[in-house]
Amino acid sequence: MFQLDNVSKYYGTTLALDGVTLEFSRGSISALIGSSGSGKSTVLRLLLGLENANSGIVRIDGLPLQSLDLLAVRRGIGYVIQDGGLFPHLSAYDNLALLPRHVGWSHARIEERIENLATLTHFPRDGLLRYPLELSGGQRQRIALMRALMLDPPALLLDEPLSALDPIVRYELQDELAAIFAGIDKTVVLVTHDLAEAAFLAPRLILLDAGKVQQSGDLDALRQTPANAWVERFVRARRDLTAASA
Amino acid sequence: MSIFRHAALIVVLVLFAHPANAKPLVVGSKNFTESLLLAEVVRLQAQQQHIEMQHRRALGGTRILWRALESGDIDIYAEYTGTLLRELLPNLPADADLTAIGAALRARGLGISAPLGFNDSYALGLTRATAQKLGIERISDLPKHSELRFGLSNEFLQRGDGWPALRDAYVLPQKPRGMDHDLAYRALKSDSIDIVDLYTSDAEIAYYDLRVLDDDRHYFPRYDAVLVYRLDALQYEPALAAVLQSLGARIDLAAMQRMNAAVKIAARADTDVAAEFLGVKSDAIADSGRATRIAARTLEHLELVSISLCLALLLGLPLGIFAARKPRVARIILSLTGILQTVPSLAMFVFMIPLFGIGAPTAIVALFLYSLLPIVRNTYAGLTGIAPELRESAAALGLPYFTRLWRIELPLAARMILAGIKIAAVINVGTATLGALIGAGGYGETILTGIRLDNIGLILEGAIPAAAMALLVQELFEWIERAVVPRGLRLSARS
Repeated sequence: MFQLDNVSKYYGTTLALDGVTLEFSRGSISALIGSSGSGKSTVLRLLLGLENANSGIVRIDGLPLQSLDLLAVRRGIGYVIQDGGLFPHLSAYDNLALLPRHVGWSHARIEERIENLATLTHFPRDGLLRYPLELSGGQRQRIALMRALMLDPPALLLDEPLSALDPIVRYELQDELAAIFAGIDKTVVLVTHDLAEAAFLAPRLILLDAGKVQQSGDLDALRQTPANAWVERFVRARRDLTAASA
Repeated sequence: MSIFRHAALIVVLVLFAHPANAKPLVVGSKNFTESLLLAEVVRLQAQQQHIEMQHRRALGGTRILWRALESGDIDIYAEYTGTLLRELLPNLPADADLTAIGAALRARGLGISAPLGFNDSYALGLTRATAQKLGIERISDLPKHSELRFGLSNEFLQRGDGWPALRDAYVLPQKPRGMDHDLAYRALKSDSIDIVDLYTSDAEIAYYDLRVLDDDRHYFPRYDAVLVYRLDALQYEPALAAVLQSLGARIDLAAMQRMNAAVKIAARADTDVAAEFLGVKSDAIADSGRATRIAARTLEHLELVSISLCLALLLGLPLGIFAARKPRVARIILSLTGILQTVPSLAMFVFMIPLFGIGAPTAIVALFLYSLLPIVRNTYAGLTGIAPELRESAAALGLPYFTRLWRIELPLAARMILAGIKIAAVINVGTATLGALIGAGGYGETILTGIRLDNIGLILEGAIPAAAMALLVQELFEWIERAVVPRGLRLSARS
């Protein structure tokens, strides 16, 4: 569904992506992993047309992004960011209804869709009329996910969706996300710096460092046949609780 | 508005092709008693010749009157030869005579009357008691009395033809203190100073029993009162020539002093005093009472503030939105509105008079220009200050620009934008008082009249409602803010 063909991207003089070639096939679930500044968020921003590549081509369903109607492309992609990006002046309900209203959905259809998504994400109904600042971090991310899914887009891009949450909420939401991903049949690209989270949610892991793809594959491949010393160090860089208690 | 009125008049003139007395002539006056009195004398004398004439009262300073005369907003006003030579016709030699001044004016389509009969020059004065005790009659007697305390008006201290040159001409050893002209008279009375500068026609000379010192070295230039007028007014109304002629040498210094005293010290209406001088019946309109006056000034003031603010919103909001979208243009827009803000209001009025005439339209345009900066600046700052992830979330949703602007960005910037509009409105209420300098009405008219007549009650009658209006406007915007700023944002401000 998404293709990056030898794409490079600079911010000023900083190189964020260095000739990256990647493909995300329809219905696949992938995780982009790397430390901060590795360029993993940039991949999502390029796919949404929030940034333009300095060289190379970004394609959607085989067509160059530049030749497509950007608004239509964006409505076909759900996007969730770290702290949700919810509009503070709108209630949770209005955050969800904003785009469907704009594209002309009826009130009943919006109600029904929100009802279904609230069930899917376990969002309490009485929270819908609250403003984002009156919601907990976990509730905000649920609303952000619901907002991304409102128009039932074929793709879902998530940029560190759980990173701002405390460990218990995060742990629970990881379970929920895994269940949701399994049930919705969408092309999912998840950006995270946490290898365990990535491996739990996505069968395909893509390791990025210094603007280049270092290795991609499943967790076993990364562990057993690391492509280089950096991959080996990245995979190993985790504490083991049994070692700590000993 | 006068533009529309003029346009309407032109239509009427064309339709009926009967120009006689379709539009009254206009006499202007500066914002001091003598100028108002002379204008009333001219108006009443014209009335004797069956010329309808309207008096635009107390229009600020020399520059404003001159511009208004040049642009045809007024047809005639009283000026002084010294002012004409030094300020208005600087290309003429300082000792040019009336014929030379007349020729220079004619080239501008203007004419000058014969002198009215008095010379309102700068002079030095002291109490008659002190003068007699020390035997002082002339300025050249002063160097011998270095103990004399001078209290001079700040303008006189600074003018090139004021104190510095006078001191050099007479070799005066005294060190003057600067003070307000009206306060100087009181200081003289209470014996805390000895010498003041004054105008030879000042009412206070008789009131405080002052001795005006002879300028025996003829240092001070002559400030003969004359009337300057538009030559086309004479064509339009030929009987005006007879009016001008009848006033030549009609008013001597003592008469002018008496008239000034009648208004400034006896607090009589200038129309009554001028009518009495001419021996005609006064047509002064009876004082309508304080409440009516305040109501009328309030309406005028509100008109100035609200129209200018609405215009500024119509232009300022789109400009601010545009600037927030185009960072490069933003700098130009913000600098330009910033520069407008630095133009002093009097200078702004002087620039505007040729375009919009005297009266409310010029004041409204000036206030409009002053309002732009806070509105444009806060709209720009409010929009560019929105968290980038919120702006990006709106874009990533797939909402088009105007929907994002209307549904997301303007509500998020509402508090900031409203603050800008509030600043503009409150400043406008204050600045609008200066509109009285160009005949725009409003509280400033009451304040200026109060200052002119040294009447604290009148000053407060203008100043208190102006302050109250500023507070009310402030209160109104707090209320609008509660209504307009979304609840979700007020939460964030509280927590």
